[in-house]
Amino acid sequence: MLTSVFIAAVSLALFWMAAFTLWWQMHAWRTPEVLASTRFGRPDGGEHLSFSLLLPARHEQAVLDHTIQRLLESTHTDFEIIVIVGHDDPETTAVAERAAARDQRVRVVVDTHEKKNKPKAMNTALPHCRGDVVGVFDAEDQVHPELLAHVDHAFRTTHADVVQGGVQLINFHSSWYSLRNCLEYFFWFRSRLHLHAQKGFIPLGGNTVFVRTDVLRDADGWDPNCLAEDCDLGVRLSSVGKKVVVAYDSDMVTREETPGSLMSLLKQRTRWNQGFLQVYRKKDWCRLPGFGQRLLARYTLMTPFLQAFSGVIIPLNAAVALFLDVPVGVAFLTFLPLVTAAVTFVFEVVGLYDFGKQYGLKVRMVHYVKLIVGGPFYQVLLAGAAIRAVWREQRGRNDWELTTHVGAHLTAAEPLREDVPA
Amino acid sequence: MTSTLPAVTAAKVPAPHRAAPETPATDGARPPLRLRSSRPDLLLCGALLTAIVVVQGWNIADYPTLSDDEGTYLAQAWAVQQGRGLAHYTYWYDHPPLGWIQIALLSWIPSAVSPGSMTVGTMRITMLLVGGVSAVLVYVLGRRLSLPRWAAGLGMALFGLSPLAVVLSREIFLDNIAVLWLLLAFCLAASPSRHLWHHFGAGLAAAAGVLTKETMLVVLPALLVTMWRHSHRDTRKFALTGAVTACALIGFSYPLFALLKGELFPGTGHVSLWDGIKYQMSRPGSGFILDPGSGSYGVLHSWLYYDRVLPLGGLAAALLLLLTRRWSVTARALAGPSLTVAILAAVALRPSGYLPAMYIIGALPFLALVLAGGAASAAHAVIRRRRTENEKRYVTGGRYVLAGVLALAAGAYVVPHWYDGDRTAVTADANKPYRQASHWLGTEVTDPKDTRVLVDDALWLDLVHAGYRPGLGAIWFYKADLDPAVTRTMPHGWRDIDYVVASPTVRRDAKDLPNVKAAIQHSAPVATFGSGPDRIEIRRIQPATGGAR
Repeated sequence: MLTSVFIAAVSLALFWMAAFTLWWQMHAWRTPEVLASTRFGRPDGGEHLSFSLLLPARHEQAVLDHTIQRLLESTHTDFEIIVIVGHDDPETTAVAERAAARDQRVRVVVDTHEKKNKPKAMNTALPHCRGDVVGVFDAEDQVHPELLAHVDHAFRTTHADVVQGGVQLINFHSSWYSLRNCLEYFFWFRSRLHLHAQKGFIPLGGNTVFVRTDVLRDADGWDPNCLAEDCDLGVRLSSVGKKVVVAYDSDMVTREETPGSLMSLLKQRTRWNQGFLQVYRKKDWCRLPGFGQRLLARYTLMTPFLQAFSGVIIPLNAAVALFLDVPVGVAFLTFLPLVTAAVTFVFEVVGLYDFGKQYGLKVRMVHYVKLIVGGPFYQVLLAGAAIRAVWREQRGRNDWELTTHVGAHLTAAEPLREDVPA
Repeated sequence: MTSTLPAVTAAKVPAPHRAAPETPATDGARPPLRLRSSRPDLLLCGALLTAIVVVQGWNIADYPTLSDDEGTYLAQAWAVQQGRGLAHYTYWYDHPPLGWIQIALLSWIPSAVSPGSMTVGTMRITMLLVGGVSAVLVYVLGRRLSLPRWAAGLGMALFGLSPLAVVLSREIFLDNIAVLWLLLAFCLAASPSRHLWHHFGAGLAAAAGVLTKETMLVVLPALLVTMWRHSHRDTRKFALTGAVTACALIGFSYPLFALLKGELFPGTGHVSLWDGIKYQMSRPGSGFILDPGSGSYGVLHSWLYYDRVLPLGGLAAALLLLLTRRWSVTARALAGPSLTVAILAAVALRPSGYLPAMYIIGALPFLALVLAGGAASAAHAVIRRRRTENEKRYVTGGRYVLAGVLALAAGAYVVPHWYDGDRTAVTADANKPYRQASHWLGTEVTDPKDTRVLVDDALWLDLVHAGYRPGLGAIWFYKADLDPAVTRTMPHGWRDIDYVVASPTVRRDAKDLPNVKAAIQHSAPVATFGSGPDRIEIRRIQPATGGAR
């Protein structure tokens, strides 16, 4: 009897968790009207804002020049690029200096902090920004030339304080986990983030994010001690009622690549989870006015851990139902979370198809198979990262893992900094 | 494109409303988004609902004749309520159990208040609820499929007031409940907001319909067509796969249930889903429906006896709409219902299939809708077709006169027939013999607890309430020959029985049931109620011919 009640309770909790996540994940496709509203409005040709684009780069001499060149191709007429390099990184500095010499729109700011991380670098550059709007990109980003014009238009027409553009991992064919990683980004930026914007609580992404310079300065820039400073900034800004606008257009997204190895994905995810945990503990979200908003904040910041938990417990629960002697009704309940998981899988398959269509990529049968088969393993990865994050946070290890572990020998193929959605 | 990006972070933001790019496939004017707030719709629908509930509800317990099937479903619902399992005898996967689980839920409160009310006549009242909801859904569906208000009302009236529909929807049949789910699925599929989760819900409702009565499976393609037509190009792939997934997942719960009980595949000593399906698929056919000598022909005529307008007119309208869908907006809008009618008609025309009397229930609302749609199409053709701005007044007048004449002619044909049929339904008492038999068995038998009676299910619950032992005291007559758990308790065959309640059903089927047949042969009537072929005889087994008790 006690077993039955316990199993039923766990099953129902898991079911509601999975159902809510699914509900939110599918936000953009709720109705054709919602889907249409997630896109950028077409620019009217007027350009009234000036941009300061921050480009933190660390040991990224191989890709930096290309990124700067592409940014300079932007159709917008009023912007500057501020490349932030470390004082201990002469190779990258050399690339940046050469670009600055070629084009006066490029400037170089040197970060002299002893222990370096991205928020510190950006805070260093913040006083040097001359534009009305600060934009953030990563050194390996491929930015669409018309993006700034669209963002300019979005700022003016919506009177937003923050505009978050889409970021998309593209190399889904590289490995089984990159496939899932790409799809995570797709659902996050294509769909879920819009729900957060609408509800008034939003963890921002790490790049293609644009903030009015005065708003950013009032907020004292980024939190240098937070491992998910992007998420933190979003939470702080939305908690004080700043208006955030999200827009996603498949041809306007910033394209990125997934981490080069499973281990770096795990580390990246660990850092991100730990960052979410830090944001949760900072309690800025408690200032959100609505109860529902606070609940959404609590749930969203806890998501990595709930995800880890459910990934482990769903199969266990189903096994219990099949092999232990429980009443048929209770056994039925244990299948409920599995049902939502199945629905999620199906929507992911359709999402992969849609992703391929929107980006003109050829998705083959084997990719769908990988998507399904890789699902449980990806869950294990997520669970591992979540457990690792809790452990590290418990031990007070909140340094930037990549910089300390990989250090100066970081290869260009392994980007310094990736931003990961849920 | 609008110039705003409405997904914004402010304290609370209303859901974004940006016009979606319209699909070219969608045509015709959309009905108001919210029927709930449309006063004329509410008034019309409410008035029709009142009329339908009165006509269907008045005299519901006494007409039509109680049937064995009704009794079976209600007895199974009773078993569910009592926690005795899924049926009053061993559940053998004859139908998915969801249908009578719903009957059990619907009758839960009345039967808890007064256990004796759990009899077929009384509990027909639950079907009134089902019928009322279905009628409203027909109206909603009509409006969502772009029918004008009057035509949606006509559809609702046809569905709710046709004597055939009145008779069938009063009976406790699984089909009535399944139809409600299917209508709900169609309404959700045609949701004007084209919401992803509405389509998902349509899939769930369709699965519930199929699990209520498995024959609804054949209607699913028509539902898919409706969903396709009413979804938007940009969101269709998610909406449709979502709906199909929802339907399939819920549908799989039935085999899963069998699996969990270890009854998916046949084995010794237990029933199985496999055997149940095999039985249903191999039921002896009732012949070709148009062959006058066949059972199916008889069933068809039993329907046409009550009403010809709805079945024949609806079928004709469905075929007409399917043929004219290239030219007619209404025909395209009603593609789902007309396809449903066509599929159901095609299935009924199988030469070797089994055609149960309640088969047409699944088609009734769709017949009503296509008939109303056909009328709307005809009205449109008469009043608006080739009409120009500067048409002469007398021509316009002539159009309206013609429309009026047609409407009057149709009314003159239909109303008298329906008036007669419905008057019978609200006045006739077809169940007096059953009530008398029930009363006799409850009062004249001295020791019900130790008396064994073979009875059909229409009276089974009456006997249980009168104190007979459920299952082995009050014995559903088929089980005396077909259920090993019952025959085991009758080692001496008919000699172990005290009474046989020979109702028309028992007399009809006794020829294939040796124990029942013998019991009838070795018994004599002690009370007879009614006369002719519909009479009910209570026959006592004659100990003189060798009774063991």
